[in-house]
Amino acid sequence: MSKIVIPDSVLKVSGLGKIYGPITDGAIERTGSHVGTARDSQTGSIVAAWDVNFEVAAGEALGIVGESGSGKSTVLRCIAGDIDSSAGDVRLATFENGESNLLSLDAATRRKMRIDQVSVVYQDPAEGLALGVTAGGNIADPLTAAGWRNFEGIRARARDLLQRTEVPLDRMDDIVRSFSGGMRQRVQIARALANNPRLVLLDEPTTGLDASVASGVLDLIRGLLEEFELAAIVVSHDFSVIEMLTERCIVMHHGRVVENALTDQLLEDPHHPYSQKLVSAARA
Amino acid sequence: MSTAIATKPILDVRDLTKSFVLHNIDGRTVTGLHNVSFAVAPGQHLALAGTSGAGKSTLLRAIYRTYAPSSGEVWFRLSDDSVVNLAQISDPEIVALRGRQIGYVSQFLRAQPRRSVLDLVIRAGVSRGMNVADARELGILSLRRLNIGEQLWDVHTSVLSGGEKQRVNIAAGLISPPRLLLLDEPVSALDPENRESAIQLISELTHQGVAVLAVFHDLDAIARLATQIVVMQKGRIINNGPVDQILPLLHPGDVQP
Repeated sequence: MSKIVIPDSVLKVSGLGKIYGPITDGAIERTGSHVGTARDSQTGSIVAAWDVNFEVAAGEALGIVGESGSGKSTVLRCIAGDIDSSAGDVRLATFENGESNLLSLDAATRRKMRIDQVSVVYQDPAEGLALGVTAGGNIADPLTAAGWRNFEGIRARARDLLQRTEVPLDRMDDIVRSFSGGMRQRVQIARALANNPRLVLLDEPTTGLDASVASGVLDLIRGLLEEFELAAIVVSHDFSVIEMLTERCIVMHHGRVVENALTDQLLEDPHHPYSQKLVSAARA
Repeated sequence: MSTAIATKPILDVRDLTKSFVLHNIDGRTVTGLHNVSFAVAPGQHLALAGTSGAGKSTLLRAIYRTYAPSSGEVWFRLSDDSVVNLAQISDPEIVALRGRQIGYVSQFLRAQPRRSVLDLVIRAGVSRGMNVADARELGILSLRRLNIGEQLWDVHTSVLSGGEKQRVNIAAGLISPPRLLLLDEPVSALDPENRESAIQLISELTHQGVAVLAVFHDLDAIARLATQIVVMQKGRIINNGPVDQILPLLHPGDVQP
């Protein structure tokens, strides 16, 4: 028995799967990394993700890497509840003591759970923010959803969050559409933190930003993950993002997890043929 | 198990082998380490010698699990005196040991470009379980010892010179002494004066009982720091003994990077 103390996991994902189209016998065998496609040749169904298993502890960020269409965002969206899953079990230790599978909650409970516990930062700020609303208003939205009613209290919370995410306070009452890409992403992060979530899902959080802006946003994310002891999942095709934010990661290919490794090990000693190709392409 | 050995080594490596299967280069297998066995006790400083490609850095990485060992055992003694096999324990367990009980300092700074020098060192301490005030105090102490002046503390690490980066790296790596310290050419880019301070610091850690496994590219550093020398060739250990026995047999060419 090892005496190494490791933090308890906050998120436990087992057997997660998402299939678009009819699910028929043999669909799993006819798709995946070894077949070279996620599309079932007999039915045209897409096995976007299948048999995905991992755990994430508080204060830990897990990376998901893979090329476009590998299923990484699908996994994130299934956990967030943005899309319905076809199979699996997802538990949060901080929700009903981990006794409930989030995937089988009724819609109202699920929405409430999402507001209280899980936040998503999307690649496209337009997905996570109302661009025609002010920065302050965008942060007020999840707060009122969680039951905040006092106007001054909401304003104070919004100010605090914008300060933490380094958004100038004199822009608080400007509509988000007037903000630069990097600033929009900071507002999205501020909004994501509004209700002190336990789990933050980051979907390509810096893709599309200039390198210097991206490095500032990454630094901010890293600091916040540490400060609030958040459990996080970071989806990115950019290894420098994964390297900066995570200690462990999984590699997805045609809807399947093909490797599960320490991040430095994946970069220096990848095992799966696809991981080796991915890493050498990124290093070239 | 390692408990049978009287000196109770902190690190006990047995038959460690590391092969790389290169799937995209005709599936060939390259073996970097062949059945490597040795042990390091508390307060011992074991220097790895051998020409370029002998497997020195590969060995450090296989112990730290940056490379996944292919076979063999890597027994590591925890602070409660129990032992774990680093080649077998889970990834989260490795993450928990890294930085806290096993330190790794290389010639390259793996730092975030926008982080300031002092912040980087403080965070290294905090990640090892220190509170911010202690980490700050100790961080400032080790930065001063390595001649990183106050004017550089709030500067981003990306603008530092190679030698400055290396010293910041050492300060961050040593802020809270681990039980096992892996050093991969930690003083290679330093000028004589700074090299001297770094060597002093490493020597003190050894005296405090840290087990050190190091690669240096000059015989002088080995002569001053090592208690034991392991000579490697083509991924195998060809000699292992006390520094006074092995050092006279070495030529400068035997420790080239």
